[in-house]
Amino acid sequence: MKMLSLSLALLLGAYTYAQKDQPLPKDLPSFGPEKSLQAPEVKQTKLENGLTIWLVPRPGFPKVSFTLAVAGGYAADPQDRPGFSQLLTATIDQGTKQRSARQIAEDMQGAGGDVSSIAVRDAIRLSASVLSSKTAEALTVLADLAENASFPDEEVTLAKHNLTDQLEQEETDPSFQANRAIAKVLFGDGPYGVFSPTKESLAAAAPAELRSEFDRRFRPDHAALIAIGDFHSEEMLSLVRGKFATWHAPASPPVAAVAVPSISPLHAIFIVPRPDSVQTTLTFGAPGPHRGEPDFEATEVANAIYGGTFSSRLVTNIREDKGYTYTPGAFLQSFRSAGVLRTDADVRNAVTGASFNEILYEMNRMATTSPTETEFQQAKHNLVGIEAISLQSNDAVAGELADLWTRGLPPEEIGNYGKKIAAITADEVNAAAKKYFPASRTSVVAVGEEKVIREALAPFGLPLHPAP
Amino acid sequence: MTITRRTLFLFSFLTMILSADGQEWRPPTTLRKLPNGLTVVLSEDHNAPTVGLCISYGIGSRLEPVGRSGFAHLFEHMMFEGTPAAPKGIFSRVVESGGGFVNGQTDNDFTQYFEGAPVSALDAMLWLEADRMKTLDFSSKNLENQRNVVEEEVRVNVLNQPYGLFYIIDLPQKAFDKYPNAHSGYGDFQDLNAANIDDVHRFYDQYYAPNNAVLAIVGDFSANEVFAKVEKYFANVPAKPTPPRPDVSELPQAAERRMTQEDKLAKVPALAIGYRMPPRTTHDAVVGAVTGELLHNGQASRLYQSLVKEKQVALSVSGGLNLNGAGPFEYDGPVLMISFIIFPGGKTQGQVLAAYDAAIAELSKKGPSPAELERIRSKMRADWYSNLELPFSRAQALSHATLFDGTYERAYSVPEEVSKVTVDDVRTFTAKYLVKTNRTIINRVPKLADKAAAVEGAQ
Repeated sequence: MKMLSLSLALLLGAYTYAQKDQPLPKDLPSFGPEKSLQAPEVKQTKLENGLTIWLVPRPGFPKVSFTLAVAGGYAADPQDRPGFSQLLTATIDQGTKQRSARQIAEDMQGAGGDVSSIAVRDAIRLSASVLSSKTAEALTVLADLAENASFPDEEVTLAKHNLTDQLEQEETDPSFQANRAIAKVLFGDGPYGVFSPTKESLAAAAPAELRSEFDRRFRPDHAALIAIGDFHSEEMLSLVRGKFATWHAPASPPVAAVAVPSISPLHAIFIVPRPDSVQTTLTFGAPGPHRGEPDFEATEVANAIYGGTFSSRLVTNIREDKGYTYTPGAFLQSFRSAGVLRTDADVRNAVTGASFNEILYEMNRMATTSPTETEFQQAKHNLVGIEAISLQSNDAVAGELADLWTRGLPPEEIGNYGKKIAAITADEVNAAAKKYFPASRTSVVAVGEEKVIREALAPFGLPLHPAP
Repeated sequence: MTITRRTLFLFSFLTMILSADGQEWRPPTTLRKLPNGLTVVLSEDHNAPTVGLCISYGIGSRLEPVGRSGFAHLFEHMMFEGTPAAPKGIFSRVVESGGGFVNGQTDNDFTQYFEGAPVSALDAMLWLEADRMKTLDFSSKNLENQRNVVEEEVRVNVLNQPYGLFYIIDLPQKAFDKYPNAHSGYGDFQDLNAANIDDVHRFYDQYYAPNNAVLAIVGDFSANEVFAKVEKYFANVPAKPTPPRPDVSELPQAAERRMTQEDKLAKVPALAIGYRMPPRTTHDAVVGAVTGELLHNGQASRLYQSLVKEKQVALSVSGGLNLNGAGPFEYDGPVLMISFIIFPGGKTQGQVLAAYDAAIAELSKKGPSPAELERIRSKMRADWYSNLELPFSRAQALSHATLFDGTYERAYSVPEEVSKVTVDDVRTFTAKYLVKTNRTIINRVPKLADKAAAVEGAQ
């Protein structure tokens, strides 16, 4: 059990300082005493077949969230089958030895849920959020999928057709185009460079490949079952034992974790032409720390000051002051073995250059000057509070635990994020900002009217390339 | 089942009640009113040291003035642009530095402002909400800024997107005849550009009054103590007369309506179908909600199974009752059941529609099987509970229900109402409402790539 608490003095300090630039309303009540967050207590077990079980009993709200995580996502796809994991996740719930696709969907609906099957870079997750009175029904389906997914030929054929058409449709979405391009720009042909399948990889994929990749990744000794919600641990454990005991690991080697990639992306602008665009979709990406690295939390604080919150510098500047965009935002993408500092903004064509200029300015301002004490305290306090809020959601806790497991981190880390944030010093934030935020470290993807982009961004003197 | 106290200062706690199947979930909740008409709904939740609050005002896009489409939403942005006491930037800075988040949302039938934060920030948040219920900055400069921001919002969500949300923005405009129901809540740029600071004053004076609002708070507190705080901060906000509600009801639809649109950005065709629905307070409306979910909810749904799997004429199907609003139980005026279907270029609109009509005809003839109905009840119960899980989200549900009904009962009674819907209900409903004369169809066709035109557009 982890307890988090923040000192009230920090907060009052922040308020006092804030009065120097923008005074707070004189009648505004001060914040009340802090109450400490009780982080979810995780009961850990391992079954004889090696399956990791993490249970968080949480009585009251009558639902249970399950997540089964296995090692190996997009980064584990065969070199000649980029994005193969998408086809794998689209078909894993389309039939088992016992059940048709329709039965799977109906059984889970009867339990109050849907099978959610998603691939991230380092893992695949099967999840379902169901009524607590129907946990046995839901677990039966999940266990059947994990052990017996059969990838029927006709379902694979249909999924290949539909994913190909879906890809054609997604390729008209500017944010999809930007995400796909920035991954390629930053990571090249490395395992983290793939964001989606291609028409070719979908066309070439065969049911037999799905079955063999499924066997390679879905094995109990490299999987974790996470459950949170309204149940008793002992009852849930015996239920899980009953459903998953017959699942056995093969002798073949499991998916290996991705090695830390050595990358040095170009400081350049990569253009994705999109005729008839009324906005330019700007995406900036720079190598950053991933979770587990020592300066990850300090970088999170720096990012919150820079562009991660509504009252951050970037949002205040290009939205609330200049009105260039509705959606500016900055966040840290954190894979198991690499991290990316991202800034995204969709701006109307006419202010493409002006927005670009302000974004570079805010990055370099972070890299060259220290945030004020007010900014520093507000950012920390915000990150700690948001963690407390999000951990109230069963799905969020299940997702967070799955993420920790994927990184090889223990479940106790779930309460540690806020504690680490609270302990960060201003010097650490300054150091992280200086190290990661120089605009010269970023690669840029611009999706929109090519002529608009070329003209608007020419003054910056950066190389302009077609996106890879 | 429940007793709702609407009497002034009368206080009642409802404890958690479990029904026979262990499913009925009803957190302790209470309702009170201030003398100025502000309705306050409080629900204690001691699972974490946080709080969520939501103020819903009884004004949405539906009732915004003619010639000012999009104004309710633009006005929502102005609520974050400061007051004389708390200038622009203060609101979000205080809430975020208190460890929380803040946002607003404009629906057809309400506008909601909500926050979630550690409970230590509750006093500050209540003060800020009361402050902007008393007056605003009414700054022309800030209006100009937010006009730009809103236009970027429309660009990013509509104009620069394939399909441009036509199935929720354009379909109601074609399906309904009266301005309140038949205009875009995002608004035309011409109307947004015409909006001035006098409009902001007028709208605020007409609709932003304590007697036209419901404040719901959920979290780790004592309800009595929090009610005292609400009194302290809100009691001196003056009540205002609000305009009488116009008659927004539509004359019955006489014939099927159809239109075709070209889409410059999409590469794959799509189809949207909207049926007019019965009024919210009728049993038929609950049946409509269930029917909508039977047809659209997930891979087990009728339309997914029929169109995507069996006949393979569609890539995806989504939809339901009040898809263009806050879902099948929260609305206060004419709504549609909408189906949005994306289909492969190799199929024709006629093929898709024929498969769709066959699925509707089957439901109309036989109704759902009892097992199917039981499954969708479980799914709807579970989905509805998810609405109520996080404090800010439960506060939203409580404030919407109370705004429409004067009692929060519906925020908890939906699962029970859904469980009363029968096989015959669905069959009868489908035969009565899901008929061609009651529907509108928009066919969205990708515009063929034209390189010359694309180059011209760039200039």
